[in-house]
Amino acid sequence: MSKDVLTFQDMILALERYWASCGCTVMQPYDSEVGAGTFHTATTLRSLGPAAWRTCYPQPCRRPADGRYGENPNRMQHYYQFQVILKPCPADSQDLYLGSLAAIGLDPAEHDVRFVEDDWESPTLGAWGLGWEVWMDGMEVTQYTYFQQVGGIEVDPVPVEITYGLERIAMYIQGVDSVFDLVWSYLPDGTPMTYGDVFLENEREFSAYNFEVADVEMMRQKFDDYERECHSCLEHRLPLPAYDCVMKCSHAFNLLDARGAISATERANYILRVRTIAKLCCESYLAEVAAKNDGDAKKGEVA
Amino acid sequence: MADTRDFLLEIGTEEMPSAPLMNASAQLGKLVASELDAAGLVHGEVRVISSPRRLAALVPAVATATDEVHEVRRGPAASIAFDESGSPTKAAQGFARKCGVEAGDLVRRVDSDGREYVFAERSVPSAPAMPILSELSERVIASLQWPNYRSQRWGSTHQTFVRPIRWICALLGDEVVPVSYADVTSGNVTRGHRVLAPGDHLVAEAADYERTLEKAFVLSAERRAEAIREGIARVESERGGAHVDTPRRIFDEVVNLCEWPTVLVGTFDEEFLSVPHEIICESMLSNQRYFPIYDASGALTREFVVVSNADPRVSETVIAGNEKVVRARLDDAKFFYDEDLKRPMEEFVERLGTVTFQERLGTMLQKVERMECLAAAVARQAGCDEEGVASAARAAHLAKADLVSQAVVEFTNQQGVMGGYYAAAAGEPAEVCDAIREHYRPRFAGDELPSGTCGRCVAVADKLDTVCGIFAIDEPPTGSSDPYAVRRAAIGIIAMLRTLPGCDLRQLIGLALGSYAVQGLEFDLESVSAAVVQFFQGRLVAIAREEGLSPDTIEAVSSVGVIDPIEFMARARALEDARSQDAETFDALAQAYARAAHLADASLGTEVDEGMLADAERALLAACDEGSERVRCALAAGDFSAAITALAGLKAPIDRFFDDVLVMDEDTAVRENRLRLLNRFVEVFSGVANIGALSRKK
Repeated sequence: MSKDVLTFQDMILALERYWASCGCTVMQPYDSEVGAGTFHTATTLRSLGPAAWRTCYPQPCRRPADGRYGENPNRMQHYYQFQVILKPCPADSQDLYLGSLAAIGLDPAEHDVRFVEDDWESPTLGAWGLGWEVWMDGMEVTQYTYFQQVGGIEVDPVPVEITYGLERIAMYIQGVDSVFDLVWSYLPDGTPMTYGDVFLENEREFSAYNFEVADVEMMRQKFDDYERECHSCLEHRLPLPAYDCVMKCSHAFNLLDARGAISATERANYILRVRTIAKLCCESYLAEVAAKNDGDAKKGEVA
Repeated sequence: MADTRDFLLEIGTEEMPSAPLMNASAQLGKLVASELDAAGLVHGEVRVISSPRRLAALVPAVATATDEVHEVRRGPAASIAFDESGSPTKAAQGFARKCGVEAGDLVRRVDSDGREYVFAERSVPSAPAMPILSELSERVIASLQWPNYRSQRWGSTHQTFVRPIRWICALLGDEVVPVSYADVTSGNVTRGHRVLAPGDHLVAEAADYERTLEKAFVLSAERRAEAIREGIARVESERGGAHVDTPRRIFDEVVNLCEWPTVLVGTFDEEFLSVPHEIICESMLSNQRYFPIYDASGALTREFVVVSNADPRVSETVIAGNEKVVRARLDDAKFFYDEDLKRPMEEFVERLGTVTFQERLGTMLQKVERMECLAAAVARQAGCDEEGVASAARAAHLAKADLVSQAVVEFTNQQGVMGGYYAAAAGEPAEVCDAIREHYRPRFAGDELPSGTCGRCVAVADKLDTVCGIFAIDEPPTGSSDPYAVRRAAIGIIAMLRTLPGCDLRQLIGLALGSYAVQGLEFDLESVSAAVVQFFQGRLVAIAREEGLSPDTIEAVSSVGVIDPIEFMARARALEDARSQDAETFDALAQAYARAAHLADASLGTEVDEGMLADAERALLAACDEGSERVRCALAAGDFSAAITALAGLKAPIDRFFDDVLVMDEDTAVRENRLRLLNRFVEVFSGVANIGALSRKK
């Protein structure tokens, strides 16, 4: 790989620097298992209420059922998304996005970039939005969504969510066919540290764990416990810890799913239970935090 | 007549999805024209120009002002327009209201006929177009509809559109028409292609719009479609007789995914041609919007057409990128297919035990077991020999196996198709493979039926099993909800049974429900089976209407309980033909029948005491006996025309009976004997058609 091609980490750094220059608060990943960057409080909860908010962060995502023991060049149970939230969405968000592609060496003028209709809906979060998947020379590189509802609540103002599939873009930039061959970084002597060096063992072990080992009864128990804990937090008007419990429930459900431990009926029921507490958290956050902040801001203006 | 200028309203947006865009383009022209008409602005023909990022109406020769209107209308005579006190009467007030003036402003004048009338005079001065166009534009933007889709909000605004609006270019001649919508205010600039001519481009005047767009590398939908077709024709001619497959839906989408199309050709590796072509084509068409290329002999080639929106000078990069994507996708497909081929189909069938068909109706394996029994029954009724019956059962056994194959999990649309390949690879006979492949047909109204009898037997079994199961759990389709597509399944069954003489639908329904009962599903067999029969009757009635039969003819046949499609249609046609040839006889017969059926009392039975009968009665009895015999023979021979002719023969005797005989005699014995005779008369009709239905509309 030639030296002027970005490594995986350079790509993340370049995206962070670029979006920081656009006024984004650079955050770190949510420190609990999540299925997608959207689940981060910085996206889900901050989308609610009137306050302006711009952020970007990489987010490792866990999808236990997608594990392939490190044997499939494209599929993993743990992978990265890079997430950007601009609230309210500015009139030039698409231009900003195209600028970010240039910032990682993909000049839109040198490629065929297309915005292809792809609307988004998350039954678990009670959320939906309209938008696109962005294609670069036929490859899907980004999900681009104007949120309309989160937690069953109409968002106002409307945030735009931009989610990059980091591995896929890096594979395109670096011209490799297996994710495990991606160059993540270089040692001082120029030896490449690959994605495989960093994560292959992780894929093998977690695939085995997710599919074969995870204790089904414990996961069921964990789901029930955290669901109860969530309600308790909500009673104490603590939407953030409550939301943390939602993520725990969601992950326990994903593991049960990967273990093949839930029937179709149970599945729908579990999803409904997650949605119920997720919506309650959103409502609580709006009532306890987001709407109050607005009040403070207005008071500040008056003073 | 005022001056005219060209009017342009361009709504500039972020990339709109194809289907809603096409729908809105069709609305826009009509909306603008009707708004201009309503405002009284004379105008030329509205043209709509669209791309993924703009929806524009261009109207030549729009009047810069409305015409001045001077209108005089004559109302009621003055004598009735005013009462004694000189105040306007109701008549005058009504007239004034109709004309949009105050009653007090009505004028009295003597008209040319020498009588005095009231007149309403109304003058509307000419109004300038500009403010009208402003309001009209805002209304048009807000009233575009997005059927089968949703619109969205953006930023901090509360108005909606299919995607965010980013600019509005509105001009009357060279003047900006002030328009604002959401957070956007109109100007005299449009925007060019994202990379070939980014940013604002001045539109000096409305008439320059299309030229300006073209200079900014944006073509109208028609021009893009034409450019793509030309490019494809070139690709075909360069390959001597090659054919590029461009399904309409995908083609429309491709046209609406670019502003400046370049037609390119990519290639995939030879090894993928061993993968079933249905998968390759689905992967290319549905996922990537590539068009497959077939050679002159009709064989799929390794090449495909991709339409780029990029700068033509970077075409090589674009082709290389797309080839990489297609390689990854086909790699997946090939891997799945090869893996699937390593497993015996029987293993897939067993695994169907882990797949739910419907929560309360059990697994797919259970469905397959029911289908086997039902498909064999259909085959037997359809007159297949033992080998044919065995093939139908075998095909039903394997029909759903591919649902657990990796290829179908990935390419759901190829269910059936993949099963056909796996069965062929496993050495199953051709008719079994074809039946597996085609048993989902007909998938929509007007779709082809499975090509062979074996396939039709399996398809009928599959669909009838679904229909019966859904009724057994009491979730029949409603007007608004039919989640299991039961209605479509029933229509498919009817279409297939019309090609399979000998099948007895009522019996098949009984069998299908019986299989559920054997598997332990609890339901009331009698009422469910009646509900299913009624449901099929409803579909038959609808189909017969679509085929142009009159509603009362259909009802006459339907109400005697015929549900076998061939027989239903044959009877309805025969009755319709007989009626059209001799309307008078049938009208009279229908009325007589209705009268008889009304009087008849089934509890008395049909044993008539001949000794008590008068002439007219005896004649009717003889006619009934003869008629019944003729009807019996005709029905046995499947000759419905003859059956109906036999019924027509009863017209004269029944008329005479009603003319000569008083049914409701005071003597109970006489009366009841006559009623028994009427019962006998009604009975002749019972197996053919409820002729009384024909009298109701009169």
